[in-house]
Amino acid sequence: MTTTNKRAQVRIRDLSRSFWEGERQHDVLRNLSVEFAQGETVALRGRSGSGKSTLLNLISGIDVPDAGEVEVSGKSITGMSERERTLFRREHIGFVYQAFNLVSTLSVSDNIRLVLELNGIGREQADQRILKLLDAVGLRDRAESYPDILSGGEQQRVAIARALAHEPVLLLADEPTGNLDDRTAEGVLQLLDELVRQAGGTMIIATHSAGVAEYSDRVLELQNGALVS
Amino acid sequence: MPAIYRASFGFLRRHPWQLGLAILGICIGVAVMVAVDLANQSSRKAFLMSMDTLNGQATHQIVAGPGGVDETIYTTLRVEHGIRRIAPIVSGYAHAGEVALQLLGVDVFAEADFRQYTAPANFETDLAASPDTGPGQPEDMVRRFLTVNGSVLMSAATAAELALSPGDSFEILVNGKQRQAVLTGILRGNDGREVGGLVVTDIANAQYWLEMQGRLSRIDVRVAANDEQRLSEIRGSLPPGTELLSASGRTETTAEMSDAFMTNLTAMSFLALLVGIFLIYNSVAFAVLQRRELIGVLRALGVTRGQTFRIILSEAAVVGTLGAALGLLAGVWLGEKLLVLVARALSDHYFAVNVTDVAISSASVVKGFVAGLGATLVAATVPAIEASSFQPRLALTRSTLEQRAGRAVPRLGYSGIGLIFLSALMLALSGRSLVIGLIALFVLILGFAFCIPFIVRGISNALAPFAGRIGGTAGRLAIGGVGKTLSRTGIAIVALAIAVSATIGVSVMVGSFRASVSDWLGSTLQSDVYVGVPRGSLDPALIPDLTSLPGIAEYSTSRRAWLETDNGRTRILAIRMAPGSYAGTNIRDADPEHVWRQFNQDSAVLVSDSYAYRHETQAGEFVTLNTPQGRVELRVAAVYQSYDSNDGAIMMSRNTYNRYFDDSAIDSIGLYLNDGFDVDLVMNSLREVSEGRQSLIMNSNDNIRDISMAIFDRTFVITNVLYWLAVGVAIIGIFGAMLALQLERAREFGVLRALGMTPGQTGVLVSLQTAFIGFLAGLTAIPLGLVMAWVLVEVINRRAFGWQIDIAISAQPLLAAMALAIGAALLAGIYPSWHAGHARPALAMREE
Ligand SMILES: Nc1ncnc2c1ncn2[C@@H]1O[C@H](COP(=O)(O)OP(=O)(O)OP(=O)(O)O)[C@@H](O)[C@H]1O
Ligand SMILES: [Mg+2]
Repeated sequence: MTTTNKRAQVRIRDLSRSFWEGERQHDVLRNLSVEFAQGETVALRGRSGSGKSTLLNLISGIDVPDAGEVEVSGKSITGMSERERTLFRREHIGFVYQAFNLVSTLSVSDNIRLVLELNGIGREQADQRILKLLDAVGLRDRAESYPDILSGGEQQRVAIARALAHEPVLLLADEPTGNLDDRTAEGVLQLLDELVRQAGGTMIIATHSAGVAEYSDRVLELQNGALVS
Repeated sequence: MPAIYRASFGFLRRHPWQLGLAILGICIGVAVMVAVDLANQSSRKAFLMSMDTLNGQATHQIVAGPGGVDETIYTTLRVEHGIRRIAPIVSGYAHAGEVALQLLGVDVFAEADFRQYTAPANFETDLAASPDTGPGQPEDMVRRFLTVNGSVLMSAATAAELALSPGDSFEILVNGKQRQAVLTGILRGNDGREVGGLVVTDIANAQYWLEMQGRLSRIDVRVAANDEQRLSEIRGSLPPGTELLSASGRTETTAEMSDAFMTNLTAMSFLALLVGIFLIYNSVAFAVLQRRELIGVLRALGVTRGQTFRIILSEAAVVGTLGAALGLLAGVWLGEKLLVLVARALSDHYFAVNVTDVAISSASVVKGFVAGLGATLVAATVPAIEASSFQPRLALTRSTLEQRAGRAVPRLGYSGIGLIFLSALMLALSGRSLVIGLIALFVLILGFAFCIPFIVRGISNALAPFAGRIGGTAGRLAIGGVGKTLSRTGIAIVALAIAVSATIGVSVMVGSFRASVSDWLGSTLQSDVYVGVPRGSLDPALIPDLTSLPGIAEYSTSRRAWLETDNGRTRILAIRMAPGSYAGTNIRDADPEHVWRQFNQDSAVLVSDSYAYRHETQAGEFVTLNTPQGRVELRVAAVYQSYDSNDGAIMMSRNTYNRYFDDSAIDSIGLYLNDGFDVDLVMNSLREVSEGRQSLIMNSNDNIRDISMAIFDRTFVITNVLYWLAVGVAIIGIFGAMLALQLERAREFGVLRALGMTPGQTGVLVSLQTAFIGFLAGLTAIPLGLVMAWVLVEVINRRAFGWQIDIAISAQPLLAAMALAIGAALLAGIYPSWHAGHARPALAMREE
């Protein structure tokens, strides 16, 4: 890989995050520093509870670190106001959550539409995109279904479609293939490859699966609050 | 609708009961407020309109004290001063059968400038229908009106009520005496119709019937605006004790007597709205809490804080608008029901109100709507802020949430204590202001409300281990659960506690009041038999015959009269005390013997509690009265206990009264019987003596007391209605809270069920929890209720009416309140406990 002249897309410096459980402090991330290049796909591994989700949350700005800095496309997420962070995330970041987090009161297509609306994409264009995305994840016939009747894997695919709807430059995926059989998982990875990687987007995927690791440019392992490669 | 709104609204659509209960709560709150407003306004308007009709175009009125206006004053003004636009009036009350009538004696030739309907030009002309009255020309009617003995006019509606047609003669009871009246014509003119039960007769006839020979009730005066010269000319020619007063001012003064009563009702109506606010707060807070994941997701997807805030608030606005709109409709309906009660209370205590239809004023409607919507928005603001503060981090865990609520509890408690202090400060510094007193009461309630979660947590934490020992895991889950789920149960408990404390506060207040009145009646009613005339005075010739009957040991007499000045009206009570009467007057803070000596020998007077409070008068000071003898200053010997509902009274001995006033009338006498004489037998002989001379009302001591207590209870019917409505709102609130709470825990129950808990067990768990919630609400309601009672008695009633009531606390209202709280909570828990037991675990675990 020729990494020399790639512009660093995500830069993390001295990131720390701990949680309080009653009186006990629980350090999840300790002075973690790492860089992700533009267009790079990185698999983030680590044991359960090692802090993968926590790290992704911090990168996306839905959580705030105790110390350290996160920079995305040269912009410091950690230096932004709450509102700026929100708007930045809305526009530039896609997130496939571990627990999907679909909006249960909206249909599948509306879940996707929501993101498009937030980004000010017109109705017609949105309709087209939704169809295209649902086609891509193989759920076109479930467009009007509500999330709670979908299977776990189906929900996950909706979550992926939703994360990709606004063509984010950075995709964060938390166990995107966790609930999927091998063949579907393969399909999802292909999809991510097509829609993100080939479009020059950066992906950080938290995963336990070896398949994802194989498919990545780089594999990082979270251990005791720090990254090892 | 944009998807973000749909996402959020979709939740409410899926939980329609939650939406429905919130709307219902606001609806009832608004309805009560609008209803009380409409009932107050309508009865007041009816009164003002009837006064307007009676006063016509009069700008001023000449009135004198108890004896009325000397009719020569009228002649003097007309002849010597050449004042044309004046009209003499003699007015009083009459009965035809069961129908109460207002009797108006006029000089038809002076009327044209004042009242259209009594002006000859407008007299009905189509009397030809009646064969014996001849052709109907206005002049004929005037002639008949002036020449036929006992001739009266009335509106078509009144005639229809009495089943009379022109030409009919009928019996009319005036001043306790049967008189023969003839309906010689029908009053017309749009303004005559509004006075229900008005009977017009010639002034001379009215004087004869009312036994006011040579006297007038008043002289109506019409002067051009600001014709000060004319006014002072009139004033200059009036003898002492006769006053020229503004007509609208007199009406206002009378209407104002009921102000305090109406203000209290209005405050009661706010209580329902206040409880409604908690309910709305509760509903919105739940809706936010239950959507915390959804909101978290929306935030993570890029919905800003401002957007979140706006979503929640616009939902509340929709709920508030719907609730307020429905509340307006319900308010009009309820207003009609309340109007009957309000009108009756006003007629019992202040002035005759004859009204059946609510007048829907746009002001009341707008007020109600704005209050409803405003209350909703205010209540929704806190949860909306809460929602917008949710970190986009996904799914705030339940424990984080409870931690947050847990941290808020003491802070809330401190601000509650602050509010209580503020309220105490307001009470201490607001002097005599009723409105500030009421505001302070609401601040106090709010302050207490803020402390309730703190208390609840303490109790529930303390009791959880015991509950575990008795009820096992289910018991521990139920009892401990309340304290640990304060973010959801707290508000429900507060809402119920407030409503229940209001029932305690009001019932302790009413109970104490009732006990005080009952005691007071017990000591005041010393005579064995009371004899009087309905709205009139006793025939002077009859009194010696009555009081000399065998068995009567002694008697007292009393006369009630009004003295009017520019500063308002004062009630004068002239009493000729029988030796036994003295004990009946409860003298405050003075030596009775000394007081009575002054009362009998030195023309000193006593003033009632209300008078003393209202006029800041105490023993040793002087009251100034405008009498036919000129202005006199009378020394106040003492203040006496009384629960009169007007601005209080001045009591003087009959001798003093006779010295200053030109009036010998006696309204009623109290008879003391010799031992061994039967009250009923004496009443029979009284009846025999008065037969054919005057129809009297006679009541035994017990009777009077029963009647007084009945009026008392009647007055508080409306209070009861209002606080039951507030309780109703609270029950709805608890119901909503229980439903939401169980829904919230559906997943948890699903898991419990999956682990093997039976539907019965989960049902018991939920019922236990609701009962405990009710218990906590009842427990916290007791101190608040008692403090409320104290404020109602010592501050509100005192400022409103000047009454001094001794607080009497009994266990009964407290137990009743506790039963109410637990019962309400259990009732509200029935469906949720069924639901918790019967939801299929697999589905329940899947529910958000
Ligand atoms: N909001 C929170 N409050 C307290 N502790 C938290 C919170 N979020 C995460 N943690 C703790 O931080 C640690 C890391 O959690 P995280 O979810 O990042 O792990 P993970 O690597 O994603 O695990 P998994 O592979 O199981 O998803 C865990 O021990 C977890 O208990
Ligand atoms: Mg994780």
